Amino acid sequence: MLRFRDFSIPKKLTWMNLLVSGAALVLASAGFFLYDLYNFRTGTVRNLGIEAQIIGANSVSALEFDDPHSAENTLSALQAAPHVMSAEIYTPDGNAFAGYRRDHSGTFPPPPPIPTGQEEVHRFQRGEVALVQLITFRKKPVATIYIRSDLQAMHDRERNFAFIVATVFLFSLLAATWMSSIASRSIAEPIVHLARTARIVLSEKNYSVRASPTGGRNEVATLILTFNEMLAQIQERDAALGVAHDRLEQQVQERTAQLDAANADLEAFSYSVSHDLRAPLRHISAFSQLLREEYGSKMEPDAQQYLSRIQNGVKNMGRLIDDLLRLAQLGRKKLVSEATDLNSMLKDVLADLQSECQDRQIDWQIGDLSSVVCDSGLVRQVFANLISNAVKYTRKREIAIIEVGQVEEDGVSVIFVRDNGAGFDEKYAGKLFGVFQRLHRAEDFEGTGVGLSTVQRIVKKHGGEVWAKGEVDKGATFFFALTAKGQRLVGETKAAIAGA
Amino acid sequence: MVALACALVRPASMRGQASKPTEYEVKAAYLYNFGRFVEWPATVTQAQSDSFSICVLGQDPFGPSLNAILANETIAGKNVVARQISTPQDAVNCRVLFISSSESARLKQILAALGDASVLTVSDLPQFTQRGGMVQFILEGSRVRFEVNLATARHAGLKLSSELLKVAVNVRKGAPLGD
Repeated sequence: MLRFRDFSIPKKLTWMNLLVSGAALVLASAGFFLYDLYNFRTGTVRNLGIEAQIIGANSVSALEFDDPHSAENTLSALQAAPHVMSAEIYTPDGNAFAGYRRDHSGTFPPPPPIPTGQEEVHRFQRGEVALVQLITFRKKPVATIYIRSDLQAMHDRERNFAFIVATVFLFSLLAATWMSSIASRSIAEPIVHLARTARIVLSEKNYSVRASPTGGRNEVATLILTFNEMLAQIQERDAALGVAHDRLEQQVQERTAQLDAANADLEAFSYSVSHDLRAPLRHISAFSQLLREEYGSKMEPDAQQYLSRIQNGVKNMGRLIDDLLRLAQLGRKKLVSEATDLNSMLKDVLADLQSECQDRQIDWQIGDLSSVVCDSGLVRQVFANLISNAVKYTRKREIAIIEVGQVEEDGVSVIFVRDNGAGFDEKYAGKLFGVFQRLHRAEDFEGTGVGLSTVQRIVKKHGGEVWAKGEVDKGATFFFALTAKGQRLVGETKAAIAGA
Repeated sequence: MVALACALVRPASMRGQASKPTEYEVKAAYLYNFGRFVEWPATVTQAQSDSFSICVLGQDPFGPSLNAILANETIAGKNVVARQISTPQDAVNCRVLFISSSESARLKQILAALGDASVLTVSDLPQFTQRGGMVQFILEGSRVRFEVNLATARHAGLKLSSELLKVAVNVRKGAPLGD
């Protein structure tokens, strides 16, 4: 059952009309009914009194000359008044003189006494009205008449009244319903129409719809006008926004194109530079090797030392060029995605690093990794770079602890590589992944400063993310996820792992 | 019923008497009641001064009861008095004249002497109304009834109320016999 509050406005109006008119009708009917009842009772009593008076006047001689038969003849005229149940004439000393019974039988109790000074007493009792009338003749009391009438006429009247009231009620309610339908057409319909329009606007996001105006000058008309005005403003604003958006889009496209071009240029440049640097380097390497083989025995120890330095430098430079070439190639390379078992990949990477780990005491803590869809060649490079970094920066530890594992965060796998090595100052964490950016001196830890940059490019190419946590001399942890996570979730993951 | 009726018609002065009313006590009350249901012509009501006389001609059968009943009673504002008369000529000032049974022999002369005088004549005599009287008492068992001769009363200028005629046993409308 709906509460009245939730009724639609037309329904509310109809109900209000019905209630108001119904209440007015009920009150008016009740008042009229009571008034009529009162009038009818008074009239009944008055008529009965008149009847008693007439009977009395016509019975005086019968009384005076002791002729009950004549009195009964007079009384029998009451047959014409079917409502009279009985009438009796009593002598002043209370003896029955003559009587009339509508149904010719039955006895009745004696009449109630008339208080002195009154000529008439009446009483309503159990569906009848009884009246006692004192009859005087030439100012002398000659008899009392006790007359009783049923209230059938009154009941008939009440029934008729109830029927009329019910009929009037029915027609009034019909009229009220009809009128409220007219009222709702002029009041509620514009509001209902407005509500429907508002719903359409909201559900279809269609701001070109307009509520049809009522034409009047009332509040509803103002409401509709204002509503349409608001829609127009929203439309204008939408149009302006659309233009701004298009312009912005175009600018972004232009900038992206420029950026792509610049990147391509830069990559082509670094590739050609690296490639072109190789040829002279090969010469230096080859001829310094020849120099060592052919003349190494004839050289002073100092010269041999210098030669070694040259050859080390050449080797470093070669590695640097290789790294740069690989980094440059990443930009051009397309991802080749395939299902990859990270566990076996990790095993291969560790095997390749075996040579670097000779003479080292390393406590490997390898967790279980999942299978993912990725470019296995590139991801292998990520693992290789991160783990070789860990091996490198734990070199000064008597026992190195290197942990590789995976945690699940909101359905995204985050892989981490943790070591107990030199660590870094988190103030400079932002610089970790920049090209040629190094936080350690080359004298302490050799390196090109390209590795982590490569890692970041690979992970980003997969749509993932990489980040690091660390502390000087307490080790570092590198995290990467190959699937993008929301910034917030990434933060939570970081916090969770840091706390673990 | 007679006892009840008498109790009803007996004037206030007689109330309280426990004994059953006699025939003439009832008749005395009726004489008084006739006075209340008959209308005399204006010449009579205006001419006569202060009293309403009910007269008895001949041997009085009522004894003291008539005086007792009429004591303190009024009709149309006049004191009702009982008078004993011996000749019809004395009846001129009477409103109601009761002719005793003792006058049976000279009834004709009495009525002739009254002529058209506006006097209501009442008697126990048999065939009184046929013989020119107006109201005649009749006994129905122990009940006192009466019959009237409307024509005679009208001739004397008296108007008998319909109420009175209603309770009369018989109402004669023909002209009086004899004369």
